[in-house]
Amino acid sequence: MQGEFFSYTLTASKGILLLLSVAILLRCLRSMLRERYDPETWAYLRYGKERFPVQHWEVIIGRAPDADVCIPLREVARTHAILRRSEKGEWRVFDVLGRGGVWVNSLFVDDDGVEVTDGDTLNLNGICLKFSDLSMQRREKLESKRSGVGRRYSPALTLLMLTAFQLFLLLQHSFFADTAYLPDIALGFCSLIVMEWSCFNAMRIINRSGFEIETLAFYLSSLGMSVAASSTPEDMYKQILLTLAGLVLFLLCGWWQRSLHRTARARIPVALGALLLLGINVVASDVVLGARNWLEFWGFSFQPSELVKVAYVYVGAATLDRLFRQRNLYVFIAFSAICVMALALIGDFGTALVFFVCFLVISFMRSGSVATVMLAVTGAVLAGFLAVSARPYIAQRFASWGHVWEDIYDTGFQQTRAMSAAAAGGLFGKGAGNGWLHSIFAANTDLVFGMICEELGLLIALCTVAAVILLAFFAVRSARTGRSAYYGIASCAAMSILLVQMALNVFGSMDILPFTGVTFPFVSRGGSSLLSCWMMMAFLKSADTRREASFAVRPGETISSVSDLEARREAKESARQAQKERRSRERAEKRGKGGSAQ
Amino acid sequence: MKKLNRRAYSVLLIALFIVLGLFTYVQRYLRDGDRWASYFSRLNSLSEGYVTDRNGVLLAAFTANDNRFNEDRSTRIANYHVTGDFWDRTGTGILTGFSRQLHSYSPITGMTQTKTVSLQLNVDSELNKKAYAALAERKGAVGVVNYRTGELICMVSSPAVDPTDNDPVAPEGVYINRLLSASFVPGSIFKLITAAAAIECVPTIWQRSFFCEGEEEIGGVLFHCPFEHYTNDFAGALANSCNIAFAKIAISVGQTEMVNHVRAYGFLDSHNLDGIPTAAGSYPIEFVGDPETGWSGIGQSTDLICPYSMLRFVSAIANDGLLAEPKLINDGQPTEKSILVNPETAKTMQQLMRNNVVTVYGDNRFPGLSVCGKTGTAEVGDGTDHAWFTGFLQDEEHPYAFIVFVEGGGGGLSVAVPIANTVLQAAVRRGTELDYS
Repeated sequence: MQGEFFSYTLTASKGILLLLSVAILLRCLRSMLRERYDPETWAYLRYGKERFPVQHWEVIIGRAPDADVCIPLREVARTHAILRRSEKGEWRVFDVLGRGGVWVNSLFVDDDGVEVTDGDTLNLNGICLKFSDLSMQRREKLESKRSGVGRRYSPALTLLMLTAFQLFLLLQHSFFADTAYLPDIALGFCSLIVMEWSCFNAMRIINRSGFEIETLAFYLSSLGMSVAASSTPEDMYKQILLTLAGLVLFLLCGWWQRSLHRTARARIPVALGALLLLGINVVASDVVLGARNWLEFWGFSFQPSELVKVAYVYVGAATLDRLFRQRNLYVFIAFSAICVMALALIGDFGTALVFFVCFLVISFMRSGSVATVMLAVTGAVLAGFLAVSARPYIAQRFASWGHVWEDIYDTGFQQTRAMSAAAAGGLFGKGAGNGWLHSIFAANTDLVFGMICEELGLLIALCTVAAVILLAFFAVRSARTGRSAYYGIASCAAMSILLVQMALNVFGSMDILPFTGVTFPFVSRGGSSLLSCWMMMAFLKSADTRREASFAVRPGETISSVSDLEARREAKESARQAQKERRSRERAEKRGKGGSAQ
Repeated sequence: MKKLNRRAYSVLLIALFIVLGLFTYVQRYLRDGDRWASYFSRLNSLSEGYVTDRNGVLLAAFTANDNRFNEDRSTRIANYHVTGDFWDRTGTGILTGFSRQLHSYSPITGMTQTKTVSLQLNVDSELNKKAYAALAERKGAVGVVNYRTGELICMVSSPAVDPTDNDPVAPEGVYINRLLSASFVPGSIFKLITAAAAIECVPTIWQRSFFCEGEEEIGGVLFHCPFEHYTNDFAGALANSCNIAFAKIAISVGQTEMVNHVRAYGFLDSHNLDGIPTAAGSYPIEFVGDPETGWSGIGQSTDLICPYSMLRFVSAIANDGLLAEPKLINDGQPTEKSILVNPETAKTMQQLMRNNVVTVYGDNRFPGLSVCGKTGTAEVGDGTDHAWFTGFLQDEEHPYAFIVFVEGGGGGLSVAVPIANTVLQAAVRRGTELDYS
C-alpha cells in the first residue's frame, strides 16, 4: 500500500477529517449556544399594572436582582418565597427563611407550603401579587411563539458531516488494518452510522428537533470506535454492542426523567442499588493495577463504579427537595461519604476524586455556600494525605509525577510512551490505525489521548476535548432555562464528572497531573464507561427545554377541569378556616395560661 | 433558577482548568516534542533501516515487524555502546545519536522517516569484540581512530549488556559510554598536555635538568614519586613520569598558560561525534597558587578528562598537529580537518612519546609495532587507581591513535598497556587483511 497515490490519499483524508471535526463542532456550538433560548412561560404574577412571567417550575420571588421574579420593593425580602409547580400543574408557594411572612388569600404559608390556583392572591409582607395560571390554549399559543431548534443550523447536515467523518476514518483504517479484521472494522463504523441515523429519524418521527448532544456523543463514539479498531480489532462486535446498549440506556434514562415525580420517587431505590453495587465491588472483584474495580461477566469486564457515577448524579440532584431546603442535604452527604470511602477501599482513587468534585458541584449548586465547599475541600485534602500515607503505590504515583522521564522503565513507563507517541503524531497524526502506542498496556483506556494524538493528530485530539467542553457549556446554559432545579443540577453534575474524568485522563497520561487511570468519556475503550457516558447524556437531554427539542422533556400539562379547580378552592378555604380557628384557640389558651399565672 | 444558573458556572471552572492544562501541554509539546518523539516513536515508526559496521556486518536492523541485532551475542555485547538498544537505555547509541539521520521531526508533521535508511559505520565490530574481551568485564573503555582519516575504528565501553535483553542484570554505570560520556581523573597522561605547553612557553625547557629524591616540598606542599628518579632532562622526566619534575614544569608554564593550552586542546569542551555530545573535562581555572598548579600539571588536583578528548589530542599530535575530526558514521562526507596542536610542537611530542616507549616501557611489550605513548596511573583518592595508556602507531600503513582506560584498574603500565597491545595487534592484523587505509 505504498506509492504516491496512497500518500496523497492519506494526506488528503487527514485534512478532511480535521475540517469535518471543526465543522461539526462549530455547527453544534452555534446551534447550542448561538440560537435564541426563549424561556417557557408557565404563569404570571401581577402587581398593579406590572406583570411578571413565571418561567420555571421553581421560581424565587424576592427583592434581590438574581431572584427569578424580582420585585424591587422594600417590604419584600431579598429571597422571600418560592413558587413551585408540580408535573400535574399544581402550584405551591413556600416561605423562605420566614422573613416577613407569606399569605395566600390570607391563609398563612408555613413550611409545607400552600397550594396556589389561578386568581389567588399572594401576600408577601403586605405586597399583594395576583397569580394567574395559563390555560392550555394560552400556553400552546405562547409555546408556538418560542423559537425552535435546528432551523438555522440543520442537524441533518451536521449528521451528514459526521457520517463523512466516520467514512474517512474507516478509509484510513482500511489502509493500515490487517485485512482479516477489515470486515469487522467496517461493520463497526457502519453500525455507528446506522445507529445515529435511526436515532435521528426516530426523533424526527416524534417531532423532536434538538440533536446536538447526540451528534457530539456520536462524534466522540466514532473516535472510540477508531481506538477500538486500532487496538482490539478482534473485539469490534463488543464495541458495537456496547454502543448500542449505551444508546438504548440513553433513551430509557431520558424517558424516565420526563417525569419529575417518578424521578424523585426512585431516588432511594437508586441510592440503595448504587451502594449494593459498590458493596459487591468491595467484596468480590479482581485486582487490576492496584485498584480492585473490575468484575468479569461473560467476557465483558464490568466496572460497577461507572454505573454508580450515574446513580450518584441522580441521587445528588433528586434528593434536593427544593431550593433552600436543607432537609435531605445530610442524606446526600452521607451517601457521598459512603461512595467515596468505598472507592478508597477499592483503591480507585481517580474515580474517588471524580466523585468528590461532583459532590462539590452538587453541594455548591444546592447550597450556594462557598464556605461549605471550602470546608469539604479542606477535609478532602486531609483525607488525601491519609490515603497517600496509607497506600504506598499512590505516593509512588505522586513521586513520579513530573519526573516520568527519569524512570521510563517503571513508574513512568506508560506516560513516557504516550507522550512520545503523541509527539510523533504531530498536528495531523500518522493515520488511523497507523500507530504503535496501542500495543502498550492500557493504551486504549488510560492513554487514549496519546493514541488519538498519535493516529489522528494533536488538532483532532484538541477537538475531542473541545467536544466535551462544549457539552459542559450546554449543561450550564440549560440550567438557566431548566424547569426545575433537579434538571439543572443533574446536567451540571453529570458534565462535571465527565470533565474531571477527561482532565485526569488527558493530563495524567501527559504528566501534567498524577497518573490515575480513569477513562476518557466515550473515547476510552471499556464497556461500563461507555454505558455510563451515554446515560449521563440523558441528564443533559432532560434539561434541554427549547421548543420541541428534546425527547426527554414532556410538553407541559395544565389543570383544565374547572370543577376540579372549584374543589381545590373549597379545600383551601376550609384549610384557611381551620387555620383561623386553630390560631384563635391558641390565642385563647395563651390568655388562659396567662390568667392562671396571675 | 437564576441563582442556580449562576452557580452552574462553577462547572465552567473545571473547563477553564482544562483549557489552562491544554495550554501547558501544547507549550511543552512545542518545546520538548522532539525529545519525546526521539525516545520510543523513532524505533516504532521506522519501516526499514540497517546499521552495519565498516565491513558490512549487520549490527542492528529495523524492519516493519521486527527489530533485531547481530546474531552473535558477544558481538552484540561488545558493540552495545555503538548501537544502543531499542529501549534507549544508553543515551549515546546509534539509535539515539543518529536519530536525525534516520528520521526528521517537526511539531507540525510529527516524526517522519527520511530517505536514508541504511547506515554504515566506521567501527570494526570484530575489533570491538577483541577490545571488549581484553577489558575482561572491568569498567573501562578503548578507542582507536585512524589519525589520517578520522575514522573511529574501535569504540568500546565495558561492562555492557546484550541489547536484545529487555531486563538485563545491569552492573552500576553499565549504560554510560565511558569513552564519550564521562570524565575521569587523568593522572600522568595529563603530562602530555603539560609537556606540550612547556615546549611552547618555557624556552629553556631543553636545558633544564630535574633532580628527584622521591619526594620534595614545593611551595610548602609535599610532592612525591613512587621512587627516586634522580637526575633527568625534560624527555627523561616525561618517560619516567616524574611528578616532582612535572609539578615544577607546570609551575614554570604558569597557571594562565596551562589553562590556555588545556582549553585550546579542547579538553574543557563537549565535542560532537556525529551527533553524540561528549563529556566536557575540567581544570582549575580560578587562581589556585603554585602548589595546586603543580598538582594540576600532573593530572591530579581537580583535573577531569574525557577519554575521547585525549584521543583527539594524541590523534592530532600523531598527524603533525592537524586533527582529522573522528567520525563514527561512514557517510561519504569529507573529514573536517583543523590544526589542534602547533605542528612543530606536535613533531616534538611525537619524538618524546616514542622515547617513552623505547627507553622506559620497552618495545618488547608491542611485538612488531612502533608505538608512541604515555601511561598514566591516576590516584582517585579512595585507594584505587585508574589505569591509562594513550598514544599512536608510527606506521603509515596503520595510522592508529588509541586510548585505553580502566576505571580503578591499577597501574597504567601493568594493566592498560597489555590491553592496548592486544587491540593494536588485532587492528594491524585486520587492517592488513581487510586493507583499511
